[in-house]
Amino acid sequence: MHKKGGILVILALAILIGLILSIQMNTSDAYEQGGLITIAQANDLERQLKEVRNEKESIMVEYLELEQRLKEIEEQSLSEDALLQAAMKDLERYRMAAGVLDVKGPGVIITVDDPIPTEENPGDGYSTIMVRSDLLLSLINKLKDAGAEAISINGQRIIARTEISLAGDNVNINTVPTAPPYTIKAIGNPDTMEGTLNIRYGIVEVMRNNYGLQVSIAKQEEIEIPRYSGVLRYLYAKPVDTTGAEADETVDIADGSETDQQ
Amino acid sequence: MKGKAILYFIICLFVGCSIVVLTKTVNGQHLFVSSKVLDDYRITIEGERKDIENLIKLADESREELEALEALKAANEDISREVEARLFQDLDFYSLAGGFVDAIGPGVEVVIDDGTRDLEFGENPNDILVHDLDLLLIINELKDAGAEVISVNGQRIVDTSSISCSGYTVRINGQFYARPFVIRAIGDGSRMSAALIGPGGYGTVLKDWGLIFRISILDDIVIPAYTEDRASKYMTLSTADKVKEGENN
Repeated sequence: MHKKGGILVILALAILIGLILSIQMNTSDAYEQGGLITIAQANDLERQLKEVRNEKESIMVEYLELEQRLKEIEEQSLSEDALLQAAMKDLERYRMAAGVLDVKGPGVIITVDDPIPTEENPGDGYSTIMVRSDLLLSLINKLKDAGAEAISINGQRIIARTEISLAGDNVNINTVPTAPPYTIKAIGNPDTMEGTLNIRYGIVEVMRNNYGLQVSIAKQEEIEIPRYSGVLRYLYAKPVDTTGAEADETVDIADGSETDQQ
Repeated sequence: MKGKAILYFIICLFVGCSIVVLTKTVNGQHLFVSSKVLDDYRITIEGERKDIENLIKLADESREELEALEALKAANEDISREVEARLFQDLDFYSLAGGFVDAIGPGVEVVIDDGTRDLEFGENPNDILVHDLDLLLIINELKDAGAEVISVNGQRIVDTSSISCSGYTVRINGQFYARPFVIRAIGDGSRMSAALIGPGGYGTVLKDWGLIFRISILDDIVIPAYTEDRASKYMTLSTADKVKEGENN
């Protein structure tokens, strides 16, 4: 009798301890990850993000104003020299190719978003398009193949040095972290680009059918694509000497013409 | 003795059960992604802050130049020399950034070729061939590791460069090339090679498939200028004073 009673008590204790353990872990978990606290935090962060973006915009406007004034001074003091005029034209062409000027034109806007979670396929908590960011790489490559002249993803201009890399939980583009939904803007022939993407068994079909991503393509009469917002620096690459000498020559010629004027 | 053994058995059973229940719910909680969303927000904000920092640097540089020029102008001095020097400095820099001149510097040379191993029974030959995506991913990883100027088989990679498979050849910048593929990149050689051949690096992935992948660090790499036509038919400059709205998303 005694022995049986002891076993019963210990049994009850074991159940109790087990229950308490699991309930406690559960509640502390819920506090960390979900509930009202998180939503409040998310709203707070959303507000912060908006503030930061407004700040960025105002600084961008300020910078563009400064550049505009510099350009005006340049034009005023160089207006008479044909050679320098040509150099300025070249500079604008170079800067446009380098992606440091805002551009506009006809093209397409593509939006890519993660699959809508369903009951059969609730997802694993990871963003499909972020894990498979090589799909974005392919999509951009197809757009370039179709003759796109300027492209941006979520406001990040694609330049010669742009990378799309999965870093931890985030996709970095131009070293700036980005998150879905992805909005890709491309300037070029809208029909060619739309046709290239929508080809049977093409990239968009693969994204839709194999990965369940939501993809939409819209042709537009006019799209604006922002400049590269980072700071371009070349620490290793230098222009090759021969062209450097040519540039020096033009400087000399320019100097010569200037002394002529004086 | 026997009773004690049964007792221990039951205790262990319950502890085991509670652990199972516990882990299951923890897994269940993983479906709830709110913590990931919070992290995304934080990192996006961090990214925007970095952008702001960059912009402030750009603006400061312009402001300094502008102030210097305006001071000279106020003193009634001829500023054309200053302006000229700035113009040619910019011309040099952006011709490099835009791919209009040959570039030289230290970096890496990557050689990728189709695999020479025999196919396994029923294996798809595509497994040991180089594809456009392989090249894209290698280039992407090089850029991520700080490559400043890149070429593939002598074609400078610029902002509009595409690489696409077309049958037996690969089209780069509209020109056709076949294997082997030689990618040259100017930048920090040790960083770039570490990125490609480190664990999870795409060079390692290609090697595991049986493709040929070689990388060497070189001192002087010359990458030719972009030679194709770059006249833009569709894009024009957008006026600078226009205030942009919601470009970020």
